[in-house]
Amino acid sequence: MEKRLAKQSAEFTAKTLEEALKQASQELGLPTEALEYEVVRDTTRTILGLVRRGEVTVRVMWQPSPAEPASPPTGAALSALAMEEEEEAEEIPGLAQKAVTHNPPELEETATEVISTLLDKMGLYAAVEVVAPGGKVDSLSNEVSPLCLNIIGDDLGMLIGRRGETLRNFQFIVRLILSRRLGVWPNIVVDVEGYKAKRVQALQALARRMADQVRQTKQMVVLEPMPAHERRIVHLALRDDPDVYTESTGEGENRKVQIIPKSA
Amino acid sequence: MLREERRANLRDLVAYIAQELVDRPEEVRVTQVRGTQATIIRLRVAPADKGWVIGRKGRVANAIRSLLRAAAPSNRHIVLEIL
Repeated sequence: MEKRLAKQSAEFTAKTLEEALKQASQELGLPTEALEYEVVRDTTRTILGLVRRGEVTVRVMWQPSPAEPASPPTGAALSALAMEEEEEAEEIPGLAQKAVTHNPPELEETATEVISTLLDKMGLYAAVEVVAPGGKVDSLSNEVSPLCLNIIGDDLGMLIGRRGETLRNFQFIVRLILSRRLGVWPNIVVDVEGYKAKRVQALQALARRMADQVRQTKQMVVLEPMPAHERRIVHLALRDDPDVYTESTGEGENRKVQIIPKSA
Repeated sequence: MLREERRANLRDLVAYIAQELVDRPEEVRVTQVRGTQATIIRLRVAPADKGWVIGRKGRVANAIRSLLRAAAPSNRHIVLEIL
């Protein structure tokens, strides 16, 4: 079957053009230099040569490459995010140890009910679908695969928030409520319109592309600063690469992944 | 297809989350005051339950605030006070 690769586009808004492009580059997992863009709106102005006001909106266009088709969210892609908020479990003393042993049988039903109730009270018209039922125990690590749920509906951008922050908070509240109801810290991933799944795929593609570049040039590449769970995805993607290895440098907000040639 | 008009109910949202988290859901009280630009939501729980709705370093309270901001109209400022 022939895959049609229609050009895709999206808008990004920030205080400066550079910031908007940086945001786009991170969201899309493409280097800033590779972005094709047009400025849609620019309300920035400088008051007394001191205070900058307003925002720049750019429309960024990109050609999806055949190597990374816009496939629907898969359980496998989402599983990479399962341990994303591992440390959250500490919120409830005594639950952390129990969490990884099993997912209770009523988890799927209870999770769907809690999410639907929250969405309803937030005034959102949306449905919950099960992407992966989870509960499979990995014989090597003894870890339970997560229950992956995806929320689908119209205008759900606000539920994702800037850099997925609202979604992270939403998932946190869902897990907290479930842990209180079920007595264990459940292994569950909540996604919205496949946002996380796409983000994982974009990061994996970025990691592979940059690894290729490092292979050819023998020069180290430093990626943009990323939050912990995103750095983890990059580390995992290149874990078995024969020619490069990865390391994180920098502190806090500024921590970023370096891709380094092994031979050098 | 006819779609019913949906509106966020911030007071209900806070009450639901709080009641799910605390040990004494019957003591959860939520009041809402609407100003011209801001809405103030006051959440009261049993003193022993405060930790559940605030969380370590305010993690829970801040997550609730994040959901309130998302659900509210973008020009409206939402303040959540936990008493």
